[in-house]
Amino acid sequence: MAKKAKKSPAKSRRQPSRKKQPSAQRRRWFSWSFIAKVGLVCLVLGAAGMAYLDALVRERFDSHAWQLPARVYARPVELYEGRVLSRDDMLKLLDLMRYRRDARASTPGSFAVQGNSLLIHTRGFNDSDGGEQSERIRLSLSGGQIRSLEAGGDRLARLEPLQIGSIHPQHAEDRVLVPLDKVPPLLVDMLIATEDRSFYDHHGISLRGLSRAMLANIKAGGLVQGGSTLTQQLVKNFWLSSDRTLSRKLMEMPMALLLELHYSKDQILEAYLNEVYLGQDGARAIHGMGLGAQFLFGRPLEELEPHQLATLVALLKGPSWYDPRRRPERAMERRNTVLQVARDEGALSEADYNKYSARPLEVVPRGASALYAFPAFIDLVRRQLARDYPPEVLSDEGLHIHSTLDVLAQLASEGALKEHLNHRDPKQVKKLNGAVVVVAPAQGDVLALVSNRDSRQAGFNRALDAQRPMGSLAKPAVILSAVEQPETYSLASLVEDGPIQVKLPNGSVWAPQNFDKKAKGAMPMVDVLALSRNQATARLGLDVGLDKVADTMKTLGVTRNIPLYPSILLGSLELTPFEVAMMYQPLATGGFSTRLRSITDVLDKDGKPLARYPVSTDEVVEAGPAFLTQWAMQQVVEEGTARAARAALPSDLKVAGKTGTSDDFRDAWFAGFSANHLAVVWVGRDDNKNAGITGSSGALPVWANLMGKLPQRSLSQNPPPSVEWVWMNEDGRRVSAEGCGNARRYPMLAASIPEDSDGCGTVKQTGKGIKGWFKGLFD
Amino acid sequence: MQKLVRLVLISAVMVGCAVKPVVEEPQEPMTASQELEGSPALSLLASAEQARQQGDNSRAERYLERALNIAPDSSWLYKQLADLRLTEGDARGAEGFALKALRLAPDHPAYQAGLWELVATARDRQGDAAGAKAARERAATLRDPESRKA
Repeated sequence: MAKKAKKSPAKSRRQPSRKKQPSAQRRRWFSWSFIAKVGLVCLVLGAAGMAYLDALVRERFDSHAWQLPARVYARPVELYEGRVLSRDDMLKLLDLMRYRRDARASTPGSFAVQGNSLLIHTRGFNDSDGGEQSERIRLSLSGGQIRSLEAGGDRLARLEPLQIGSIHPQHAEDRVLVPLDKVPPLLVDMLIATEDRSFYDHHGISLRGLSRAMLANIKAGGLVQGGSTLTQQLVKNFWLSSDRTLSRKLMEMPMALLLELHYSKDQILEAYLNEVYLGQDGARAIHGMGLGAQFLFGRPLEELEPHQLATLVALLKGPSWYDPRRRPERAMERRNTVLQVARDEGALSEADYNKYSARPLEVVPRGASALYAFPAFIDLVRRQLARDYPPEVLSDEGLHIHSTLDVLAQLASEGALKEHLNHRDPKQVKKLNGAVVVVAPAQGDVLALVSNRDSRQAGFNRALDAQRPMGSLAKPAVILSAVEQPETYSLASLVEDGPIQVKLPNGSVWAPQNFDKKAKGAMPMVDVLALSRNQATARLGLDVGLDKVADTMKTLGVTRNIPLYPSILLGSLELTPFEVAMMYQPLATGGFSTRLRSITDVLDKDGKPLARYPVSTDEVVEAGPAFLTQWAMQQVVEEGTARAARAALPSDLKVAGKTGTSDDFRDAWFAGFSANHLAVVWVGRDDNKNAGITGSSGALPVWANLMGKLPQRSLSQNPPPSVEWVWMNEDGRRVSAEGCGNARRYPMLAASIPEDSDGCGTVKQTGKGIKGWFKGLFD
Repeated sequence: MQKLVRLVLISAVMVGCAVKPVVEEPQEPMTASQELEGSPALSLLASAEQARQQGDNSRAERYLERALNIAPDSSWLYKQLADLRLTEGDARGAEGFALKALRLAPDHPAYQAGLWELVATARDRQGDAAGAKAARERAATLRDPESRKA
């Protein structure tokens, strides 16, 4: 490289000329014509160079200068009268969204507490339905719900969706674009006062600025001003890498001049404010004041106070040297210098200077922000987006992704998993970890996704990728397969719980054991599920047919290949927690299958709707069998293996679910639902070793805890028209009546209701009577 | 023998009905407010309707989804979604929502019949003639209970 540089065009030309020229002219090798030639060459080269630089400058600046990664938002917080929402949760949300307390809630992003009511000045946002204007709303909360809400004549309001992450697959640049008219004027004043006082007068480079900066530095006895103009700094940030080679330095000046030639001061300023490098967050480079504001203060730039703006300006001198998190003293000193310069330049009054230079830095701790706090969920969003958008669109075009994440459900899930594992395995000697998936079953919205006991940690996404035997979670599919044949089975049908052996094609024998190694004899089908009896389930499943059970699993949403081994009846099939949520979703909705979604809408960078991910639903299980299965699963919680969950839930809340434990206590599962939340919990070890846990002890407590923290609606107890309540004799074959012996009440499909009665009590099965009467008629 | 007795009995009832039809109070047509009275979902429903009239189906759909979050058991809201899907040419989606609306439907034969007709249209458009016919029969039965006995 160095060799090449020495061989300048002028020198190479000199050699042959010397040979040709007579010796008398040797002293005058620099003839005028030669100088003219050299000059011409230089001019041509220079012009070519300038043309090249000009093209470079214009191309980058015009062809949309900024690469804007797609940003992901949580679901907007919907506020309306009657919504179940505790005051604590409301305040938690406002805190997460960095709403400031302000007695009059005078600006967007602020709120005031006035007794039982809250005055909230919302921020406003775009959405595919038009979004919301910023407005002041008053809501009163008591008894765990919103009692009243006043919002400009409406009874509905929404808080803007919380940004939870961004997607930058190719390179790690991130940015929040802020147009110049949204930039606080004080920030511009401070910037110009400290970085480039003659910004509005120079043409890209400023000798005066340079000398003045030197003077100021001498006067202050340190580096308070830099010599290069904002335009030069922009050039450096925009086009040149940060290494300080001479050629880069040489390119900087002409490029700065060219930039000034083509673009207005406002355009340059706007570009600077959005481009400038402000630090590093792991692999993510923080560019621009908008993102800087979010990164340091968790708020939009427009809402920052003078001392916070000064902190941002202070960073320009050296983003890592003045990092307010790692070097608070330095950052504070530099910030106060910025405030001081602003005061000296008249941008800040003396009183304000005194007030704000006394304020602490007020930087939010790293990790306290909701931004980048939910890596597992963002991973899901990224995977769903990758199907529809090429990577460059996601990294460059500033898409707004509205996701389905419910911040409160997410926090409750994280807390529940962490609390439980900290209790079971405080020192992490058992290496227990886990995953949680929470879904709103009717719309298929994924509300929360946790894939690690330390939920901030990215990495192995257990919720999406940990593929484990589902154990007894398979049993509801066996029950559903049975009740779909109502002529043969009802929930009252007796099934023998005793040793069972099946010869397999390979000659081995499959002989499942019960969890307690006991056999309980004949029991009604509902108890087989509630008590999770393996031998009875195996017997029932084989009777119903392996192929039928496998079909049911597919109908419910299992997409994997299901081998027709008897062991699938007891859950040898391996699924991820997310796939279990897919399989349980139709069970939770009474038979309607809905694709799970993590995205609702995609908007472009200006908030214009681009794509919707609408809800879609298919009826996959008929109302009757779906109701019966759901009811049987309720008995699991009422009196079966999950009754311990009752303590954490309101006594009148009807929920359903199923525990699951895989062989050798490797995996603990619980999958269960109310009418509005379906949650799947898995606990186990990454190395798939014995974790010493069962569904009841290892996963159920997490489920109960998180469900208890969310607003729940009971599962409907109203059977569909095809089902009626019937008192059945304990033999499961005869109708009985209330109060008769061990008679129990079951939901029954018409075809299952026996004609025979045990004759107890004044049996007056009216419904059955008529149906049986018609049935007899058309038989 | 027993069957014969039943058949005779039923015929007698049917004849009776035919001769002297039961005068029923005509049921009020189903409206949104029957389900959503006092619910904030009503204003979202109104916004959805407005968006639909402006031809912005996607915006309408977003309003309806939000309304469902507030009133998740509203058959009426599902019916609106089904209508919307049919307009947009998504017959399968329309069928799914219409069936869901039927699951949640109040005891209102004319309303339910309308939903079955919607299911029938959706099935027709998916090329499911047999399914459409079955749905039409359900609708007919609900519109005219006499036809069930005929």
